[in-house]
Amino acid sequence: MTVLLATILKVVVIFGALISAAGISTLAERRVSAWIQHRIGPNRVGPFGVLQPLADGIKFIFKEEFVPEGANRWLFILAPALSAAAALMSVAVIPFGGLITEIDGTPILMSIADLDIGALWVVAIGGLGIYGVILGGWASNSKYSLFGGLRATAQMISYELSMILCILAVVAMSDTLNLREIVNLQDSADSRCFGFLPGWNIFYQPLAFVLFVICTFAETNRHPFDFAECESELVGGFHTEYSSMKFALFFIGEYCAMIVMSCMTVTLFLGGFSVPYWSEAPFLIGLASFLLKVTFFMFLFLWVRWSLPRFRYDQLMNLGWKVFLPLALVNILLTGLAVSL
Amino acid sequence: MVIIKRKQLTWMEKAYLPEVIRGLRITLGKMFQKPSTRQYPEDPLITTEVTRGQPRLVVNEDSTIRCVSCGLCEIACPAYAITIDGQETDRMIEREPEKFEIDFLRCILCGFCEEACPKEAIMMSDELELADTSRQGLIYGLDKLKRPVSALKKRIAYINKINDRWRTSSST
Repeated sequence: MTVLLATILKVVVIFGALISAAGISTLAERRVSAWIQHRIGPNRVGPFGVLQPLADGIKFIFKEEFVPEGANRWLFILAPALSAAAALMSVAVIPFGGLITEIDGTPILMSIADLDIGALWVVAIGGLGIYGVILGGWASNSKYSLFGGLRATAQMISYELSMILCILAVVAMSDTLNLREIVNLQDSADSRCFGFLPGWNIFYQPLAFVLFVICTFAETNRHPFDFAECESELVGGFHTEYSSMKFALFFIGEYCAMIVMSCMTVTLFLGGFSVPYWSEAPFLIGLASFLLKVTFFMFLFLWVRWSLPRFRYDQLMNLGWKVFLPLALVNILLTGLAVSL
Repeated sequence: MVIIKRKQLTWMEKAYLPEVIRGLRITLGKMFQKPSTRQYPEDPLITTEVTRGQPRLVVNEDSTIRCVSCGLCEIACPAYAITIDGQETDRMIEREPEKFEIDFLRCILCGFCEEACPKEAIMMSDELELADTSRQGLIYGLDKLKRPVSALKKRIAYINKINDRWRTSSST
């Protein structure tokens, strides 16, 4: 009973934290963009503007819910919900920290579900998220939205391949799909790289790491690969026709997906919640180390967005199929050789 | 026809990733520079004697008004913003305004009144903020227009300097 209660508590806390983090990310996006452009950014609502996401949310709720004429009403409403739900669901298997406590001999671990197919779950559910974008573009009955949706589809297919191959390289090394196991393996003392570096997969799989990080940018539709949105060409892409809370849901979905992808990068390549050279680190320190690493990758998302221009669409496709896929294949071939030897 | 010779990219530039990192370094550097935004209400605008703000009436040190209600500014005003009613006074100058109104809904801050004034009595101040909730509130009377000469000293000196330039260079 208490175990069930603990699980429910974990679900509430993690989902609450994720959605709040998505809100804070929208503020961070605006503040970081302002700093990069010599501006100050929103700083009027609350101290340092921390209540700005709340004000934005209230504004979104009071906006008109608009469904364009000729739109497929059912799909139009379904799309943003699907987009946000998929992003929220994929966080379920991320191991945020180690052991919290033990109740009646049952260990309570800091993740909603400790699935044996964790990596597969994130890929599968993350892949569902793209349906939100495609359906949103299709159901809007607008050429801009449709173009955004179609581009998103093509982009997802080309980059998901390389991304999964990068995950596969890590999985082949660790011999498990369980994310917690992957973290524990990186933490163990005998996995030290060259005997002194922490046993993080980034040192064993540098190519896979670089490819994976770039693929996460494409997966989450972020600059410089934001072809689903493409403000300057497609007005707003798939969410051109959306307003009010439906629009906000798309954004929550996008930021949640960014957070989940940062979590995945940290878990797969940077040792997750483990602290280098301190295997017995207490729960809170492990959680803090995890959040610190995730914050860096979230910052990287924002930093890159405000530094790089958008690619051209054919460049994106060339990069995906002619560069990333062969590199990922070579990487997995080498990994396979190394593992089997 | 113009043939544009494009720069041949080196191998490092074509690899793109090093250039990306270079770009990221630049933007990171920008993040730690001072923002050029001015937080307006707390951090007011910087004004100098050249600032052409709203016109104000100069009051002497003995708290008498300089204006002799000659009406030149009223005539010079292209927006018909100024209304003057004169009256007699016992002072040397014999006349002073009984009513002096500037309608700031009409005023275009051109400074012609300042140029027309023979007595250095109406001067463009450095006051720029103008907001009210009613139209009537933006028609300023004598009470709102009077400023001590000390507040407008710099502007008067500046206008004198400008005028001196024309006086000395005139050949006639």
